[in-house]
Amino acid sequence: MDACNCITCGDVAIVARVVELRGQSAVVECEGAREEVAVELVAPVELGEQLLCHAGVALERVGQ
Amino acid sequence: MKHLSEYRSGEIAAGLAERIAALVEPGSAYKLMEICGGHTHAIYRHGIEDLLPAEVQLVHGPGCPVCVIPMGRQDDAIAIAEQDGVIFTTFADMLRVPATNGSLLDAKARGADVRMVYSPLDALRLARENPDRQVVFFAIGFETTAPSTALTLLRAGAEGANNFSIFCNHVLVPPPLRAILDAPDLQLDGFIGPGHVSTVIGTQPYEFIASEYGKPVVVAGFEPLDVLQSIYMLLRQLTEGRCEVENQYVRVVRREGNERALAVIEETMEVRDTFEWRGLGFIERSALGVREQWGRFDAERRFELPGTRVADPPACQCGEVLRGALRPWECKVFGTACTPERPIGTCMVSSEGACAAYYNYGRLERRSERTPA
Repeated sequence: MDACNCITCGDVAIVARVVELRGQSAVVECEGAREEVAVELVAPVELGEQLLCHAGVALERVGQ
Repeated sequence: MKHLSEYRSGEIAAGLAERIAALVEPGSAYKLMEICGGHTHAIYRHGIEDLLPAEVQLVHGPGCPVCVIPMGRQDDAIAIAEQDGVIFTTFADMLRVPATNGSLLDAKARGADVRMVYSPLDALRLARENPDRQVVFFAIGFETTAPSTALTLLRAGAEGANNFSIFCNHVLVPPPLRAILDAPDLQLDGFIGPGHVSTVIGTQPYEFIASEYGKPVVVAGFEPLDVLQSIYMLLRQLTEGRCEVENQYVRVVRREGNERALAVIEETMEVRDTFEWRGLGFIERSALGVREQWGRFDAERRFELPGTRVADPPACQCGEVLRGALRPWECKVFGTACTPERPIGTCMVSSEGACAAYYNYGRLERRSERTPA
């Protein structure tokens, strides 16, 4: 989903790429914006992986 | 996932639209409900209805978590926010939802400390930074959002936080679907299932729709080609006489969902006996509350709440819109007394709300173009 959608609630989630690992969290990047998300629900994650993120939490890996 | 443009190709969309048109029997009607507000938004934003034959009607479902919260709960939220020493944190859309005495933004203007956050984890961080204040998070959302709240409760427990709580309003997708299927005033032929809710719960919880009610379901992604393909898959099921739960959104959704996400919800929250939905009334076992053993983080236990039921303003027809019985432009205050700038009802507040999506993307011309069946 892109920026004009409601990113704060609901069934919207954003696909972002892992650019840094920080223990139970990871920094992800989407269209140049970076955010730290919790990754317990999908761990272990690797750099470069695409994650579906919502409300500060990675919910799932995204397949190709 | 590869680049988004792959899911937005006009050429492929035109091809899919042709295949959809070829499946449709002229003169018959196909009423398909998109359950999720994210789909409603995508349908209006990308003009998907314009690509469909007149026989296919999309009905907007109850899947906007802002829209389904009844006014009484919003009053409760404001009552918490206005207590001394409270920092009340919320997702942005809830700030503007009208309650009996204005919105949370109005409460902020009156002096309440109301702050917007992107994640409950941000609210917990605020609690850490403000040990002399009570920080409350307004937890709303479907199964997509509940894992984030659950994970935050687990972290709050691990940290021993004593100034953090949540006002829990998490709701579940399958129970209102049963209520809609049981309602006498709406006949639907199939459902476009919510993609990201299904990332968490999987596709299995929709199987009753096919087995008990004989209606097909296709769980769909949110790009225009995802939505078009899911409509094609639904029509194929209908024309072939099949009735199954299919998964269009295979790049993220698995039949069993995310078991770890389900486990953290199960650990911290339990299903309430009943919960009031705007427009749908009380629905049994349709929402989550905080488990007793996590009660120290439950704002409903920590604060005294008015807890009164409040009727919607008489002019507001959000209820009918949420049930799919009325299309947005058929509401008597749509676009006149009720606009995104000055909303009367919740459906006009959130960008996932059917009325706001309809209003923002200029679909007003449909009012004269298509007469709803």
